[in-house]
Amino acid sequence: MANPILQVDHLTKRFGGIGAVYRISFDLQPGEALGIIGPNGSGKTTLVNLITGFVKPTAGRVTFRGREITNLPAYARVELGIARSFQMVRPFYNLPAFKNLIIPLFSPRVGKRVGGKSGNRDEVAMHLLEEVGFERDSQVPYKVASSLPHGYLKRLELARCLALEPELLILDELFSGMSMSEVASVLPLIEKIREQGTTIIMVEHRLRELFRIANRAIVLNFGEKIAEGKPEEVIADEQVRKAYLGSEDA
Amino acid sequence: MFASILVNGLVNSVILILTALGFSLTFGLSRVANFAVGGLYLFAGFAAWIFLRILGLPYAVAILLAIILTGILGAIIYQVLLVRVRGIELSEVIATFAVGVAILETFRWAGFVTYEFNLPSFFKGRLEILGTVIDYQRLIVIGVGLFLAVALWWFTHHTKIGLGLRGIAQDEHTALTLGIESDWAAMLSVAIGSALTAVAAVVILPLGIISINVGYEVLLLAIAVSVLGGLESTVGLVIAGLILGYAQVLTANFLGPQWMLVVYLAAIVTVLAVRPSGLLGRFKEIEERV
Ligand SMILES: Nc1ncnc2c1ncn2[C@@H]1O[C@H](COP(=O)(O)OP(=O)(O)O)[C@@H](O)[C@H]1O
Ligand SMILES: [Mg+2]
Repeated sequence: MANPILQVDHLTKRFGGIGAVYRISFDLQPGEALGIIGPNGSGKTTLVNLITGFVKPTAGRVTFRGREITNLPAYARVELGIARSFQMVRPFYNLPAFKNLIIPLFSPRVGKRVGGKSGNRDEVAMHLLEEVGFERDSQVPYKVASSLPHGYLKRLELARCLALEPELLILDELFSGMSMSEVASVLPLIEKIREQGTTIIMVEHRLRELFRIANRAIVLNFGEKIAEGKPEEVIADEQVRKAYLGSEDA
Repeated sequence: MFASILVNGLVNSVILILTALGFSLTFGLSRVANFAVGGLYLFAGFAAWIFLRILGLPYAVAILLAIILTGILGAIIYQVLLVRVRGIELSEVIATFAVGVAILETFRWAGFVTYEFNLPSFFKGRLEILGTVIDYQRLIVIGVGLFLAVALWWFTHHTKIGLGLRGIAQDEHTALTLGIESDWAAMLSVAIGSALTAVAAVVILPLGIISINVGYEVLLLAIAVSVLGGLESTVGLVIAGLILGYAQVLTANFLGPQWMLVVYLAAIVTVLAVRPSGLLGRFKEIEERV
């Protein structure tokens, strides 16, 4: 096997006495798309927070492109090429949608490539919004984020990640709360990004969509990894069915 | 009479807005309530005075150096002190207030208390507008106020650093996912706010003498105008400045100067009773939908 782009090694997080993530390990090869599934509260978001530096691990290591990043601050991981979306959307509420993308386009990671001309940046921002399904010739891109419907804000989360041209894209339940048509408009884009070689981690409850993107899946339950393998196989696993059906109908 | 109220009210208002601008900008961008503003204001004044009178530098250079130095002092206050208590609001207020008092009292102790401490007007002379005489320095105050208002709007809407700082102010987590370091940004916002306070000091102080008490007044004015305007709204700040500026002049004209403070406080209490978040302040939290 080639060198993994991401190595998660016995990663553990306890909040107070409560274990949220317990001794989770996995490797990710460049270009892979990993699905993470599990019932609510099983530690998926915490795992994302550990990989992106939003939460400090109790134990374990994270390695990105051969470099240990366990104690690297979140903003510095972004420069290495790790981008994430938030399950609960977190746009800059008082800024127009397209301005939400100007800020990442100024970032050290892509700022130089996008160029100095602000007209340029506006154009790139508009293009990104169009890609995630904002109507280009409408007023939508100019509206402040707080006035946009939830489905748009979810897609703005994705666009903000894409603005960073990430090498590792982490999507935390991007599809939850989106309408069928919104999902249908975004899914091909994520497939395209995967084809272009971007490594993807996708936390997702919507299994049909997950199957389209992921080539491998891990299942969490009470913070532990209880299964790993091809998405279809993992879902068929007896333990997984029990974990899922025990808490909700997936 | 009417013209004089109009002109003097405007001058007063712009002075208030300028005085509060640095404090308000810092708070709006990084939630740091920098209660050292009064100290920073006088630091800038005395620094300009020292460069001009003791070191004999050209006035323009003295002013520029004073502004830069005050910005650096703000950055140092953040790095040495605020970093440790960041997010604990009461500690931030106490720490910065203590620094402000320390600066002011150090100057008092060093003997900066006589009438010789003053800065000259940038240009001598006066002008008549609508029958009211106004000197050039007051016109400069108005010009600088207008210029800063436009410049700050541009800075926060179209520049990399300005937008980044606004991003941090709105959502620190999201800003982190974009590679923006919040401590660096907060330090910058304190430095820029301090430098703005210095700009206010060097253009306003030539209208009077540099006295320690001015420092304490500046702190009160900055808080009053910012709170009234709503702590994160520039437009609110301008409106609040205009209300208080004209309230001052009207009271002085019709009720007598002894009533100024009362009307002033009444205006603040009334607005806050009706709109607790200030004239144009917004309640920040937006319910997160699942
Ligand atoms: N910041 C936090 N402080 C305390 N407990 C937390 C925190 N974040 C998550 N948890 C707890 O950790 C567990 C896993 O949560 P989370 O990672 O959000 O699960 P999932 O994303 O799979 O729904 C839950 O029990 C949750 O309450
Ligand atoms: Mg979650």
